[in-house]
Amino acid sequence: MKKIFNLALGIVTSIGGFVEVGSISTAAQAGSEFGFSLLWAIAIASLFLAALAEMAGRIAAVGKRSMAAAVRERFGFHFQVIPLGAELIIDVLLLTAELGGAAIAVKMLTEIGFQWWILPIGLAVWLVIWLGNFSVIEDGVGLLGMVTLSFVVSAWRLHPQVASLAHGFIPTIPHHDLTRYAFLSVSIVGATVSPYLLNFYASGALEEKWTEQDLWVNRLTAYLGMGFGSTVAMGCLVTAAIVLGPQHIKVDSYEEAARMFVPVFGRWAVTLFALSLGIGCFGAAVEITLNAGYVLGQAFGWTWGIDKPRREVSRFVTALSVVLLLAVLIALSGWDPLQVTLISVALTVVIMPIIVLPFLVLMNEEEYVKGHTSGPIGNGLLAVLTILGAIMALIVIPLEIFGG
Amino acid sequence: MPTVQLDRLLGREVHTANNRRLGRLEEFRAERRGSDYVVTEYVIGAAGLAERLGLGLRLILGLHRPSGYIVRWDQLDLRNPDRLRLSCSVTELQQR
Amino acid sequence: MDVVREVLDKPVVDRNGREMGRADGIVLAIGDGQPPRLEAILIGPVVLGRRLHPSIGRLVGALERWLGLGANRPVRVEFGDIEMIGQKVKVRLAVGDTGADEVERRLRRWVIRLPGSR
Repeated sequence: MKKIFNLALGIVTSIGGFVEVGSISTAAQAGSEFGFSLLWAIAIASLFLAALAEMAGRIAAVGKRSMAAAVRERFGFHFQVIPLGAELIIDVLLLTAELGGAAIAVKMLTEIGFQWWILPIGLAVWLVIWLGNFSVIEDGVGLLGMVTLSFVVSAWRLHPQVASLAHGFIPTIPHHDLTRYAFLSVSIVGATVSPYLLNFYASGALEEKWTEQDLWVNRLTAYLGMGFGSTVAMGCLVTAAIVLGPQHIKVDSYEEAARMFVPVFGRWAVTLFALSLGIGCFGAAVEITLNAGYVLGQAFGWTWGIDKPRREVSRFVTALSVVLLLAVLIALSGWDPLQVTLISVALTVVIMPIIVLPFLVLMNEEEYVKGHTSGPIGNGLLAVLTILGAIMALIVIPLEIFGG
Repeated sequence: MPTVQLDRLLGREVHTANNRRLGRLEEFRAERRGSDYVVTEYVIGAAGLAERLGLGLRLILGLHRPSGYIVRWDQLDLRNPDRLRLSCSVTELQQR
Repeated sequence: MDVVREVLDKPVVDRNGREMGRADGIVLAIGDGQPPRLEAILIGPVVLGRRLHPSIGRLVGALERWLGLGANRPVRVEFGDIEMIGQKVKVRLAVGDTGADEVERRLRRWVIRLPGSR
């Protein structure tokens, strides 16, 4: 019974951190510019993420290693430097964007300039990590993140035509602006499949001491959790499509995006949007910061973990604090969070093949997954994903230049 | 006794006695003898980096058999890491 | 035993199971007419830097010296002190005896000053 409860909690808490600055901005833009026709991108990206997360969870539960540890041990430091370095750069940028997103959300609620909020929010992120433990953080972030269900409620209340919705799940060539369409579909993938999510998921599995008996929990949490989270992103896209699309509102700022809630939520529109954006970004900021500590600690063999007394994990704590500080400093420079988001999303897509490739090897090695190796279907899927990832990596930069 | 760090040798080109390229030094096989671990064999791979990328990738690329040689410890001269030479002829080597 | 696959880059733990780091490097002793012997495991960022490029190793070394570290680094664990090599390399010593925890201990002096460091 307790297992079921924890499983449900695990699925629900996957929302927190799933819907953050990248997912919201790409979904809002996709909806306002192309109606429902990019729903398939969110669906496929979420499936992709769920599949990779499940694999990362499997390696953690069976092989007792996180992704960072597994890559270091299987491929050596020489190889790992590249994905590790890239992931850290992206994490800093993404963290900067999340801090910015949360600050803008608070600004929408208080009318006080967003730059004033960067430091307090950064401090709040640090305090949550300093004082919390894994379950409190995960559950807290997840439960608060339920406010993002506003997007689902809104989409529901707007009564979208089921036929048109269904059509959106089939990839089609748009009538206008092919480069912009392609750019947004690739960006959605980059916003959804953030590399930090995979190592964070695996580290969580290790913090919660999953074993081979928990593999079914792993599968359900990965697929249902990511699925649940993706409905929120889809809700955002649908709402934007119905409310902002007809008015030809191009989403250039979060304030503009907030208008999508007006028809359903009236005078609560800005409040709810701000809460959803703010809590989603805050949760993601906590996870990204924590993950920076995980990745470095695991790659270099330090003692790590947020369930340990802080004095025993001094390097871990120092590392994540430095990363957070760096992001706070960059955010304070006033760089537009939406811009930073787009850059981190594009960079994510560029390194995607290097992130996926190790899975192809690890999922076939007994040392890391024992008997639970990937069958031919799993390997085929991974191969396809790697190739797709490589194609996307090649086209994303030109697309950003011409369609961004 | 002179020492060398493993990473100085790992991935280096190994040449035959008449300076032809044999492959890259990819693995060191060691055995416990008493209280010591001694290196008994070296694995020289012709495919290089792809070897470490492993089974999954090789299956996809269609390279099934690992290629290269197994070299006994006394068949390889390690004294100059920048110029690893076989101290025997290629015909004496065991194929993988 | 395949040294690169089974020892290099693996986590190293002391006799109490405490993390000492990872096997960042391995030292081989080469003798005439004898098979090379695995002499020691090296732990430390200097070794990692060297693996990427000798100049990076020198840079990291200079950084360590500037920070007041560097006296007993990189940490060296003789193969004779290794108890077992499995998923992790288990060492017969206690981490405090090796200097592998130097950075951790130094940072701990700061971390402890913050309230709530449990």
